[in-house]
Amino acid sequence: MQRRSVLLGLLGLPLLASAVEGDPLPSVMWDYHHQRLLNNEPFVFDERVKVSVPPFAEDSRQVPVEIDARALPGRFSRMLLWAELNPIPRVFSLRASAELVPLLAIRIRVEQATPIRAALLGEDGVWHVGSAWIDAAGGGCTAPSVVRAQPGWEERLGQVLGRSFARRDNNRLRVQISHPMDNGLVGGIPEFYLDRAELRSTTGEVLASFELFPAISENPTLTMEVRGHPHTVLWLHDNNGNEFEAGL
Amino acid sequence: MRQLLLLAALLFGGAAQADFDYHLQPRQVAEGTWLLEGSTDNFARENGGDIVNTGFIETDDGVVVIDSGPSRRYGEALRKVIGETTGKPVKLLLLTHHHPDHVLGNQAFADVPIAALAGTRRLLEEQGDDLAENMYRLVGDWMRGTEVVLPTQTLEAGTLDVGGHRLRLLALSGHTGADLAILDENTGVLFAGDIVFYQRALTTPGTPGLEVWLGDLDTLQRLPWTLIVPGHGPVARDAAPFDQMRDYLGWLDALMRKGVEEGADMNELIRAPIPPRFAAISLSRYELVRSVSHLYPRYEQRGLSKVSIEPGEPHAQ
Repeated sequence: MQRRSVLLGLLGLPLLASAVEGDPLPSVMWDYHHQRLLNNEPFVFDERVKVSVPPFAEDSRQVPVEIDARALPGRFSRMLLWAELNPIPRVFSLRASAELVPLLAIRIRVEQATPIRAALLGEDGVWHVGSAWIDAAGGGCTAPSVVRAQPGWEERLGQVLGRSFARRDNNRLRVQISHPMDNGLVGGIPEFYLDRAELRSTTGEVLASFELFPAISENPTLTMEVRGHPHTVLWLHDNNGNEFEAGL
Repeated sequence: MRQLLLLAALLFGGAAQADFDYHLQPRQVAEGTWLLEGSTDNFARENGGDIVNTGFIETDDGVVVIDSGPSRRYGEALRKVIGETTGKPVKLLLLTHHHPDHVLGNQAFADVPIAALAGTRRLLEEQGDDLAENMYRLVGDWMRGTEVVLPTQTLEAGTLDVGGHRLRLLALSGHTGADLAILDENTGVLFAGDIVFYQRALTTPGTPGLEVWLGDLDTLQRLPWTLIVPGHGPVARDAAPFDQMRDYLGWLDALMRKGVEEGADMNELIRAPIPPRFAAISLSRYELVRSVSHLYPRYEQRGLSKVSIEPGEPHAQ
């Protein structure tokens, strides 16, 4: 490592050691995303926000990410997930009710090895940031669609497969939505992706409100947990104006 | 810039790889039958991709080679040791399946028939360049000059008589969709290809399903073999590799079924404890990460049901 630093120093490149104090990862993009995504608001790198990814991306188009911030005290009002070195870094931005458990899993595309960051806004007004590193051969964002190669995908557009699981007092929801999540980076195919989602109670109260980005894998797979609410409704919206609903 | 590259070469280039010699040592495992046993490690610059078992059979009509190895350099070295060992020309190269560690030495055999199942040829045509590119990334300069060479002959299940050896060919599919196994009826040596891994975790990209794979194991175990040559790992004279394969596939299958029933996402399965009885199996954690990525989506599909609300329908309560 030391030899590498010396060499990079010779080449006039910034050292790959953590660029920001306390950052567990060698990142050159933290400041940029802090400014753009977190509005330069106060933050802390916090190990209680556990971001889990495999050590390497076996399929760069479907990389599973799990965020578990149950160790964080108090409630959280927002959660952001992004992949720093992706052409489309943002995965989602979430506004949470008190009933949403800070435990969520989703699959994303990565274009190259990159830090993955999850930031939760706590009651203290500070963003608590969890980090993980994924190694990848890459190409997940610019690979041809698998969904579009399947006959009849248009008929299944917006179809939701799902199931709920009782977990003590919580209800865990797993859903998979048929959607190509085209990100505009594959030649000749314009952006076509789910851009909003809401998880609602049966009486219409919003439990979680998502802004979604096409760094999410095609046929998005989402796992989340709510306190109580054995029955919920998931509402989805794409950038072409289609709306879909599912009862869980 | 040149000085910097030179500096980089001095700093990072290890002298250990300078000769790119696989040091292939054929080991006789039966009459007229030799094995080149690879490491059970992952692809690495330290091993040049030599993680695979290849073999050859000396017949009255020349040498039958089983798989050509991970690179042009390996194929050339293999051809050389075949000549030194048998003093006979190569008659035929058989490919067990299209994965890069088994077929990227083909260039060294371009002057003899290269035979494989039709599916192997198709998969190599589709994926070969990407697989080779990934090998360059994983093992570097060992791959220099390596290019994909497609099979020139198509095999079907049946028997092949070559120079007094009766080779039974089995067309299987559990590992990649097109997997050839070869039983030499003269010696009882079963070249199982990657239908059998032993003491090395099996790999699952392209498997049509673990139940298909289990069926193939039954087919092979019923044959009158006396020695099993797995695609990866040590040879065996008893059924231990079959038992280990069934045990491991069964565990993998049960882990993912349970995951679906409990609502687990992929990362929870990737972290799952690996049973102590698999402790001696190389790379089981690494391959679990890969297998969950390959296979869990299929299990999820079966475990989730349609919950869409069609427009106009009342919301489910």
